[in-house]
Amino acid sequence: MSSAELRYPRQTLWADYLRAAAGVLLCGAPLLLLDVNRWLAGLLLAGFLLFALFLARTALRHHTRYVLGPDTLCADGPAGTLVEWARLDRLKLSYFSTKRDRSDGWMQLSIGSTGGRMVKVDSSLDGFHDIVERAARAAEAGGVGLSEATRANLRSMGISVAGQEELA
Amino acid sequence: MLNFIVRRVLLMVPTLFVISALVYFIIDLPPGDCVTSQIDELLARGDADALVRADELRALYGLDQPLWQRYFEWVGGIFRWDFGLSCQDTVPVSELIGERMALTLIMESSTIAFIWIVSFVIGVYAATHQYRMGDYVASFIGFVGLSVPNFLLALVLLYVGKVYFGLSIGGLMDPEYIDKPFSWGKFVSVAEHLIIPVIVIGMSGTAGMIRRLRANLLDELQKQYVVTGRAKGLPPMRLLIKYPLRHAINPFVADIGGLLPDVISGSVIVSVVLSLPTTGPMLLGALKTQDVNLAATFLLFVAVLTVIGMLISDLALAALDPRIRFGATSEK
Repeated sequence: MSSAELRYPRQTLWADYLRAAAGVLLCGAPLLLLDVNRWLAGLLLAGFLLFALFLARTALRHHTRYVLGPDTLCADGPAGTLVEWARLDRLKLSYFSTKRDRSDGWMQLSIGSTGGRMVKVDSSLDGFHDIVERAARAAEAGGVGLSEATRANLRSMGISVAGQEELA
Repeated sequence: MLNFIVRRVLLMVPTLFVISALVYFIIDLPPGDCVTSQIDELLARGDADALVRADELRALYGLDQPLWQRYFEWVGGIFRWDFGLSCQDTVPVSELIGERMALTLIMESSTIAFIWIVSFVIGVYAATHQYRMGDYVASFIGFVGLSVPNFLLALVLLYVGKVYFGLSIGGLMDPEYIDKPFSWGKFVSVAEHLIIPVIVIGMSGTAGMIRRLRANLLDELQKQYVVTGRAKGLPPMRLLIKYPLRHAINPFVADIGGLLPDVISGSVIVSVVLSLPTTGPMLLGALKTQDVNLAATFLLFVAVLTVIGMLISDLALAALDPRIRFGATSEK
């Protein structure tokens, strides 16, 4: 198996930059331009920090490339890290949606190997399915316990994993 | 998760803007304004200067300005915690809502806690002891709670309290603490007076929640993974808490979004019946007299609490159950 270089699509990143900028502006502008009540100022400041954090996260994603190899997944960027498939000890696949009927949502994969930091990738990443499939195989081979939710989400992607469900 | 929160928070802004505009314009739609009723009173008393006074009052409340201009002034004032003047007493809305909002928050928080604690205990007991005496008693209480209107229960308790026990149940504190600064004595008095309103307002919510929790938990307890867990020898309590209960409490979490708006608007009729100094009766009065600033401020709080409640309940639901639903589709 050869290595594949994966990145978040530009369109997704720019949409996130736009959201972050809109949030920073909406929360920051009243703080700078108006005489705001101190309780509301606290709320706006919390919102400002949230969107600033989101902006930083988007920039981090912009400058990170993921290299999916036969033995590792390497996140190459400012906060880079490495996941070794043979030493994989954590796998969690979650589904989120902003709609009440839980449609049109996105997946988030969190994986980590012994002694290493977690890598979190969203389903908007090009080649997300390949990473999930490789991680699921590694989890199966290493006997990593998977939650009921993770198994259900894997099944919805057409990936079935043998082994015990995490009960403890 | 950060993506989720950011998208939801961003969605809140246009949602609240549209709601605030709709609320402000709809309250102002009926013919006349909040000065009309005051002038009618002056004319009835034979006041010759009533019409001149009307113009003065309209200028004072800003009613001589176009509606859109009043709306944007009201919205701009929100950042300064200045919601304009109320027509009822010619005082700033922020002063009027202060203590009432605090008392409403205390009363409704206590009601929510009462609903959750009582329904959780009874619901779990009824589901795990299906078709036993305890289950029948819980079901009976549930049906009674669902079928008796809150205001009727309030009236019955008022009557029984007065006639048989000589107690005055109305109000949220003893008369000597009204309009007095907060003190330990006032706190104790409020706590004592809270019991009846909390039971009255929380009765139907508790009954409904018991029924839903019992039904959900019974569904879960009959699933194969529970049978497997039992067969593997998992302790019953651990088995119950680990999965079935976690899935069955979804309605508790999903209801946060619906419960928070009640903090401001809910229990209006019960508050009127029990003479509770909460925001409900004031909102009713403001709507009747077309006090746009006061009514719109209350309704904006309801909207804010609704969207915050929805966000909290969705976040909690996502944390409780981050599974894709059958039929739901992900972006990629």
